[in-house]
Amino acid sequence: MSFLHIHNVHKRFGDTHVLKGIDIAIEKGDFLVLVGPSGCGKSTLLNMIAGLDAISEGELLLNGERINDLHPSRRDIAMVFQSYALYPSMTVAGNIGFGLEMRKVPKAKRREAIQRAAELLQIENLLNRKPAQLSGGQRQRVAMGRALVREPQLFLFDEPLSNLDAKLRVDMRTEIKQLHQRLGTTIVYVTHDQIEAMTLATRIAVMRGGELQQLGTPQSVYDDPNNLFVAGFMGSPSMNLVTARITRQDGALVARIASANNEVTLPIVRDRAALEAWCDRDVMLGLRPEAITDPASANREDGEIHEAELEVALVEPTGADLYVVTRLGGRSINARMRPGAPLSPGQSTRFAFDVSRMVAFDPETEARIRDETDATTQVTARPAALGQNV
Amino acid sequence: MSKPPSSRGFGERLQHWLPRLVLSPSFVLVLFFVYGFILWTTYISFSNSGMLPDYTWAGTRQWSRLWSSWTWGIALHNIWVFGLLYIVTCTALGLLLAILLDQRIRAEGTLRTIYLYPMALSFIVTGTAWQWFLNPGLGLERTMHSLGWESFSFNWLIDANMAIYTVVIAAVWQATGFIMAMFLAGLRGIDGEMIKAAQIDGAPAWKIYLRIIIPQLRPVFLSAIVVLAHLAIKSFDLIVAMTGGGPGNATAVPATFMYSYAFSRNEMGIASASAVFMLAVIAALIIPYLYSELRESRS
Repeated sequence: MSFLHIHNVHKRFGDTHVLKGIDIAIEKGDFLVLVGPSGCGKSTLLNMIAGLDAISEGELLLNGERINDLHPSRRDIAMVFQSYALYPSMTVAGNIGFGLEMRKVPKAKRREAIQRAAELLQIENLLNRKPAQLSGGQRQRVAMGRALVREPQLFLFDEPLSNLDAKLRVDMRTEIKQLHQRLGTTIVYVTHDQIEAMTLATRIAVMRGGELQQLGTPQSVYDDPNNLFVAGFMGSPSMNLVTARITRQDGALVARIASANNEVTLPIVRDRAALEAWCDRDVMLGLRPEAITDPASANREDGEIHEAELEVALVEPTGADLYVVTRLGGRSINARMRPGAPLSPGQSTRFAFDVSRMVAFDPETEARIRDETDATTQVTARPAALGQNV
Repeated sequence: MSKPPSSRGFGERLQHWLPRLVLSPSFVLVLFFVYGFILWTTYISFSNSGMLPDYTWAGTRQWSRLWSSWTWGIALHNIWVFGLLYIVTCTALGLLLAILLDQRIRAEGTLRTIYLYPMALSFIVTGTAWQWFLNPGLGLERTMHSLGWESFSFNWLIDANMAIYTVVIAAVWQATGFIMAMFLAGLRGIDGEMIKAAQIDGAPAWKIYLRIIIPQLRPVFLSAIVVLAHLAIKSFDLIVAMTGGGPGNATAVPATFMYSYAFSRNEMGIASASAVFMLAVIAALIIPYLYSELRESRS
């Protein structure tokens, strides 16, 4: 039995079907991130776990207990809100201790718990201030302190970093991750930011239009997307997607990407069995920017490198990397090369494609074309090798 | 490249002077009829005036006559009782109604309008209506008697000890809806996530209101009290319509006192002194309030 089990949960507001049967199960200590574009139902799902929204259909189990109809205060959860939702008339200590006070924890014990939470979050010197006297980052800490102090079974975070500026957001992200590692708590976290999802999660649930698109470890969601939406949503810069025709060349299955001015033929090494059925048909091919590099930085040990000569359209240095844009199959293709590579627009150079990381999608249904057995081995057998590239 | 002022076009000069031109008549009128007469009344309160203005200086004679007047004592006592009950009841009832209306009930729009309607009536109408309603020979008591409840008695309106409370009832009836609307606006401004957080923290609804929501309504309380306080001090028409200050002097307030001394008792000096005193009390309430409000909006 998993620790938190969301079983076929539906939500309807009148005639609108907001959540269409969500199934998610996580273990104790997991950090589940619900990610998706706005309106995908992720916040609604979180509110339902919290008990702030009623469940229309389905079951919610926490630690084996059905909590569908339990009042929020009796679910043993704590929640951090996007607006922080601090009580303006109380001091920081009052805010953190309010939940304990409502649960009739004796004063001395309460003060001790507040002190401990404040130390953990380094806000001891702010305990006597009012929320209006705090900066955004400090308010965020107080909101987390209010959740931590109760030591609940489950923490819920609703886009907690979206009101912070970019620099602070990265710092707080690290801090949340450290807290999770230190305390070993179970967390459900909602965000629309896929980088936050990738960095924080042990489990990612990608949602769209009230449906779960994919549930898995960050790496598996990144490397082995279930469909075109997940492939495009996760990762920045996003995955290169281009139309290709599957054909047979010298007995082997290949993908031909052709346009008016160039043509590249890439061998198929992944999901070969499934792609047999697509021979002489068009598919949507996906390749991450880091799977297209210069020949010198290509990883030949773990990958299958196939080189092709293409013209450089644009060069974008970021300092750590050099993103090189080229045109292929009528689309712009982003390649990640080593910084300082002597390239300029208009020049031709060799691109190294790691075809072992190539994924294919049905252009009609947008579903992934993959071998049934391959799907599991891909994720479990090679995480270390894939980790280096990300 | 700015032109010298003499060579500016007519349109530009007009634009410069037009706002002053448009505002000046009302400015002059307000200056004369409001502030001018305040000064005039203040002077009269230090003069020998009786039925007609008499500009001979009398020092504080009228003021000491005012403060030794038995009726003025009653009027001050009444305004205390009336003002305190009026402000406290209106605020408490208005807040209660606002909280009840804020529970996302279905007919909220209709109910809000019903509660606000009394504010649309003039005090004279309210006073007359409540006078009929509470008149033992005409209204509630008589209706109860005709329905068969012979022992029913509600004669506060003609009871000198209780008459002031009937005025409170009518005034509360009129202003509560307005105060409710103020509180409702305040309640709507409170972050919903905060209430959710308090629910998860395990606070029951009444504690959420007591500890989290009501403390945040402090500015609304301040506005409500200032509005009600100056309405209470100015209250005149309601009392004239309802009790005429009676029975006897039982419901006299400073405003009715001033009116009767100025226009029926021919004691302009005392009336002026009472008017100046009322102005001073209202100013003492309003000026700090305006000062704090304006300072807040500037910063």
